[in-house]
Amino acid sequence: MNQQIQESQAYLMQSEKMASLGRLIGGIAHEINTPIGSINSNNDVLIRTVRKLRDFLDCGDCPLEVRDHPEVIKIMKVMEEVNHNNHMACDYIGEILVSLKNFTRLDATKKQKVDLHKGLNSILTLVHHHLKNRIQVVKEYGVLPDVVCYPNRLNQVFMNILVNAAQAISGQGVLTIKTFPKDENVKIMISDSGTGIRKENLTHIFDPGFTTKGEDGGTGLGLSICQKIMEDHHGKIDVDSELEEGTIFTLTLPIK
Amino acid sequence: MPEVGPITILLVDDEEMVLTSISSFLTIDTDYQTWTYTSPVKALEKLDHQRVDLVISDYLMPEMDGISFLGRVKQKYPQVPRILLTGYADKENAIKAINDVGLYQYIEKPWNNEDLKLIIRNGLEKTLLLRSLEAKIREVQKAQQELGDVQKQILRVFA
Repeated sequence: MNQQIQESQAYLMQSEKMASLGRLIGGIAHEINTPIGSINSNNDVLIRTVRKLRDFLDCGDCPLEVRDHPEVIKIMKVMEEVNHNNHMACDYIGEILVSLKNFTRLDATKKQKVDLHKGLNSILTLVHHHLKNRIQVVKEYGVLPDVVCYPNRLNQVFMNILVNAAQAISGQGVLTIKTFPKDENVKIMISDSGTGIRKENLTHIFDPGFTTKGEDGGTGLGLSICQKIMEDHHGKIDVDSELEEGTIFTLTLPIK
Repeated sequence: MPEVGPITILLVDDEEMVLTSISSFLTIDTDYQTWTYTSPVKALEKLDHQRVDLVISDYLMPEMDGISFLGRVKQKYPQVPRILLTGYADKENAIKAINDVGLYQYIEKPWNNEDLKLIIRNGLEKTLLLRSLEAKIREVQKAQQELGDVQKQILRVFA
């Protein structure tokens, strides 16, 4: 009884923390949206401007000694490269912004019909720094119907499992996300080629407070919260693991 | 579109940087002339003695929100297309308001310049079509009136 109270307290605190964090992130994303919009547009304007300059240099009105002057060639090259680089940087920031927006979903206090792949892709963008140059992500997405759910809470589950998977892989590895519909449910299988979970731990991983991550690891609440969120959706979370082979988490979620 | 002079677009956003971005784009890529205001109130004053061909306004501004501003623009110039620029968190409110004040379009920040240009062009085309439709209606009304007069004359002759 006492333990139950403690568990639900911990759960409440964690979900309250997530909610505040969501509001904070949403607020920041909203604030930087305008300057990013401006930079993005300016970059586009510069690309167009340099293109016009290039067209002018290449046209008959422009003296050849200007066009072929080493200083002009150098300046043009630098401008074109920097603009291109900025363009990619802006796209990337834009992608992160959209992902943050999808992740926090400030509008989603009610259940909604959502495309789960969009949520998964957003989380992948957000955990990019855990994966890059190290872990290959394989997406085996099936055709899924939109699912009625609390998108921001499900995103929390995806985030937890994907970060765990990335942490379970010490060097190079593969992370596979497979989705498919089955009967009245959708299944999302997230597997990693990591260290795997010991048999004696496997039965405890959903217990609140259970962690093997040591001091700088987690609170031990992550997976218990995932389980609670899946139960709230009348779904479930299953785990299968083989030491040194990897781990598969399977999420089952009713479509309606 | 005006009979003389360039097409003019009024831009209102409390963030100077957004105004600079959009007006630079329109300067380099179109022949439109832009007037920019960080204050919707000042922009309305300008509209008192100067007409424009299209108005773009930000949504969240301290003096007056974009919906009220564009509503006032509508009172002055019902046919001028009005476009709302919104941050993503305002989207739902903005869409609700679009029907209330009859906006032509809304654009989300961060915006894409190519889309922006297309929306402006379509908006201007719509005004042009409306204006020519009105001219046609006036012509038809005039012709009908003339026909009516002729009919009366004929009746008078045969009466």
